[in-house]
Amino acid sequence: MRAKRGRLIAVDGSTAQVIPAAKDVVRALAAAKIPRGVSTWDASGIFTDLFAANGVMRDPSARTLTLLYAADLAFRLRWQIRPALEEQRFVIAAPYVETAKALGMAAGLPRKWLDELFRFAPRADDSYLVTESATHAPARARTYLDCFSATLQGGSGVIPPGDMRARSLAYLASLEKRRRIVRLQSAADVVLGP
Amino acid sequence: MHQRELRRWRELLRQRNATRGLLVAFEGPDGSGKTTQRKLFKSWLKQQGRHVVVTKWNSSALIKPIVKVRKQARALSPEEFCLLHAADFRHRVETEVLPTLWHGGTVIADRYLFTGLARDAARGLDFDWILHAYAPILWPDLVFYFAVSPHTSAMRIAATREPSYYEAGQDITGMDNPLDSYTQFTSRVIREYESLALVFQFVTIDAERTIDEQHQQVRQHFAQAQRRSWLDFNIEPLVEWLSQHAQGSQLG
Repeated sequence: MRAKRGRLIAVDGSTAQVIPAAKDVVRALAAAKIPRGVSTWDASGIFTDLFAANGVMRDPSARTLTLLYAADLAFRLRWQIRPALEEQRFVIAAPYVETAKALGMAAGLPRKWLDELFRFAPRADDSYLVTESATHAPARARTYLDCFSATLQGGSGVIPPGDMRARSLAYLASLEKRRRIVRLQSAADVVLGP
Repeated sequence: MHQRELRRWRELLRQRNATRGLLVAFEGPDGSGKTTQRKLFKSWLKQQGRHVVVTKWNSSALIKPIVKVRKQARALSPEEFCLLHAADFRHRVETEVLPTLWHGGTVIADRYLFTGLARDAARGLDFDWILHAYAPILWPDLVFYFAVSPHTSAMRIAATREPSYYEAGQDITGMDNPLDSYTQFTSRVIREYESLALVFQFVTIDAERTIDEQHQQVRQHFAQAQRRSWLDFNIEPLVEWLSQHAQGSQLG
């Protein structure tokens, strides 16, 4: 018999509004008295350390940044996500895998490589997409999106920011079309039951 | 990528293949003496007037400090260990190895991708996944593998220092004694290396022989080695690098 476990809720998107949207979901879970946990980008401190040591990171490529994101995600899975799931909590992972894939593909990385790299991460029970049409105020915290975009645009990346945005949105829209991800209009959209 | 752009890169690579530098990797377990051989090899090449750059494992100025702190805290899982080393490797390939080769310099890698493959596989990770983490792979022109037994490796290490926690594989073996753990872990690493040596056609040097005998063998094999065609072996990493630096100054 399969042991009971919690529920993994991924909140992804190619905007900084992922964080406030995830906070809304946490508040909704709290109001419903559902045991919960949160896992956000850079819990490992890898990117904080890189910024602290180097100021603006102009050197790393999209592939290097994606590998670092994966290392951070491995840390989050080990210390935040899996333990909370074992305690039968709802875990909000914001962002999770699709944000990294969307930005990686926007920067020209092959889909196959991204799929294979993130194979170690379990599929979320529910995946939500946050878009710019959501009503949240922009997040003040630095996000992976900021880091990724600023690094590539500040360095030798040759993909115009507008193209990056359009490509990442196209990938996320393709997931939505295939019902792999659901657009999050408000925290009330989140499925609270098992 | 558009076909026209791809054709342009292929033509550029075809032209550059004749003048580019060579990439030579030195691989082997700790205590195999490969660093001594790498230094001798570098001196020999420099005496011939070649421009030589050495790249060492886990030495990216950007990522090495991050790994070092986490190793000291013994905070890395096998996946994190693999991914951080793959990031370090990728950063060095893009910022040190490829620019040097492009401008005709010789690159000696004191440990290369195969170190990551052998160690991560010895830690129990899936080989295909590890290979993907390091992709797209820039294959060296020549790989020297310095072969020693686990016993010799452990003896040589024990004579100079105590192996560090991750070097000894204590994260995997769970053994308290670093040297005992090292012996067990190195046996696994050597098994992985031996498989890689067959698959990827390393030049195996018997590292139990004298330093001078090994060096003469290295010289001999290097003199006979032929450069691997970039178009046949390395098109993917090179096109990616070129497209990233299309407007940069590194292409010369």
